[in-house]
Amino acid sequence: MADYLGEKVLAFSVFSAEKGSFALSDLTRKNKLWLWFCPRNGVTLIEVQQLSFHRGEKAIFSDLNLSIPKGKITAIMGPSGIGKTTLLKLIGGQLQPSAGQILFDGQDVHQLSRANLYKLRKRLGMLFQSGALFSDLNVFENVAFPLREHCQLPESVLRNLVLMKLHAVGLRGAAELMPNDLSGGMARRVALARAIALEPEVVLYDEPFVGQDPISMGVLVKLIATLGKSLNLTSVIVSHDVDEVMSIADHVFLIDQHRVLASGTVQQIRDSEDPRVQQFLQGLADGPVAFHYPAEDYLSALGGEQ
Amino acid sequence: MIQAISQLGASCLANIAALGRASMMLAQALWFIPTRKLLRDIVRQLYVVGVLSLPIILVSGLFIGMVIAFQGYSILVDFGAETSLGPMVALSLLRELGPVVTALLFAGRAGSALTAEIGLMKTTEQLSSMEMMAVDPLRRVIAPRFWAGVIAMPLLASMFNLVGIWGGFLVGVEWLGVDDGSFWSIMGASIEFGQDIGNGLIKSVVFALAVTWVALFNGYDARPSARGISQATTRSVVYASLLVLGLDFILTALMFGS
Repeated sequence: MADYLGEKVLAFSVFSAEKGSFALSDLTRKNKLWLWFCPRNGVTLIEVQQLSFHRGEKAIFSDLNLSIPKGKITAIMGPSGIGKTTLLKLIGGQLQPSAGQILFDGQDVHQLSRANLYKLRKRLGMLFQSGALFSDLNVFENVAFPLREHCQLPESVLRNLVLMKLHAVGLRGAAELMPNDLSGGMARRVALARAIALEPEVVLYDEPFVGQDPISMGVLVKLIATLGKSLNLTSVIVSHDVDEVMSIADHVFLIDQHRVLASGTVQQIRDSEDPRVQQFLQGLADGPVAFHYPAEDYLSALGGEQ
Repeated sequence: MIQAISQLGASCLANIAALGRASMMLAQALWFIPTRKLLRDIVRQLYVVGVLSLPIILVSGLFIGMVIAFQGYSILVDFGAETSLGPMVALSLLRELGPVVTALLFAGRAGSALTAEIGLMKTTEQLSSMEMMAVDPLRRVIAPRFWAGVIAMPLLASMFNLVGIWGGFLVGVEWLGVDDGSFWSIMGASIEFGQDIGNGLIKSVVFALAVTWVALFNGYDARPSARGISQATTRSVVYASLLVLGLDFILTALMFGS
């Protein structure tokens, strides 16, 4: 938490985390003002504690710990296949961990009843890697879907809300198009409009930049940063697009070998002397992370029997 | 030998586990208070699984009724009993062919479509995205399709029977010259509402539950890949068809065995 906050607010955060409450009289006048104007920032919203997750025999995470602060953009990065998407699904309660817990605003996600889990998910939005738009609904209806499901709104109000969301992602003019008619970047933006339709506190982005052309990528980077700031969203971006993510992230977690390899501000990560961190940031083909998947000796494999 | 036994055991365990998952899916999908939204979705799905299946059901019913009339006439005429063609066509359709063939056609046409649709929704993460939007896909996707299948199939079977009897009439009376009055009057006298029409409807409802459940579960449980969807669709049609034939034997034995 010290990474996100000033020294004085750190004292408050630690105190409130330990005691669950605090007395305003304990704080200086300056701190009171800071808290008044920035009530959402600086508090941990999602806490991953000693999380382990296995797929069959294979460990995806073991003893993973990380804290995601409220109102910030947090990047979770790492090589392909280390379970970044799995982590988002664990946060959203779609997968059960083998051990450990994930606290969302103090609630253990995996101990919640089905009804309470669905209630919690209303506070979450998720942008899927594929967009996951409903292929039989047009763009307007895709964005309207969560509103129709959860809100009893007059049609005119709903229409205005949907058009506002689509306008925010620059696709008001595409409202009548079907998902098949959209480019990859447009589909991702529609999915983003849908993810923020219920005005969630948290948006989870699963590889938002994969397969995007430079313009679409630039648009998405700007959108994520702008929406995060203007709506005071807590954004969690899972990605391995180093430059794009680091250009907007407030805090970065680098995951490798089942646990957090490095964490800190963008500058702290860039300054890291860990060779694995540097290999990832610089995109080196070989290094501590081997180019070859573990296998038997090459020469003996070539000369051996099939 | 030991390997074969262990494979058999593993296969049995996998099937029991699948049955458990299928039961859980159905229980979670149906265990809630119906809403107006559910009714609207059921009506929409009735169009997809019911109305769109109608052409194949009607055409099949017509041909099957005509074929029974031909076959029946060729046997009955040898005994001078061709006036019994009406009850023969009607009872064959009402008791057996109507429910069974409708269920088999439904499994091939609507069941496979349901499996493929839900499998594709799973593969493209549409079901996951629903979950993350706090919308339960079991209630939003599975439940309306299930009820639509259960409502549609008995209606389709009834239409199959009607068209089949009309097909029998066309061949028997219009073509082969069986007496019109005998055809209808003996048919009317032979059919018992509870025994024939009622039992046929009960069969249809049971087949509808089985076929729709199998189709929906195979889609929901499909591996999220092209091959996974293809296997699930095949499995859906094969399992549903075998289940229908097996259940038909059991139901027939219970209804008409004594």
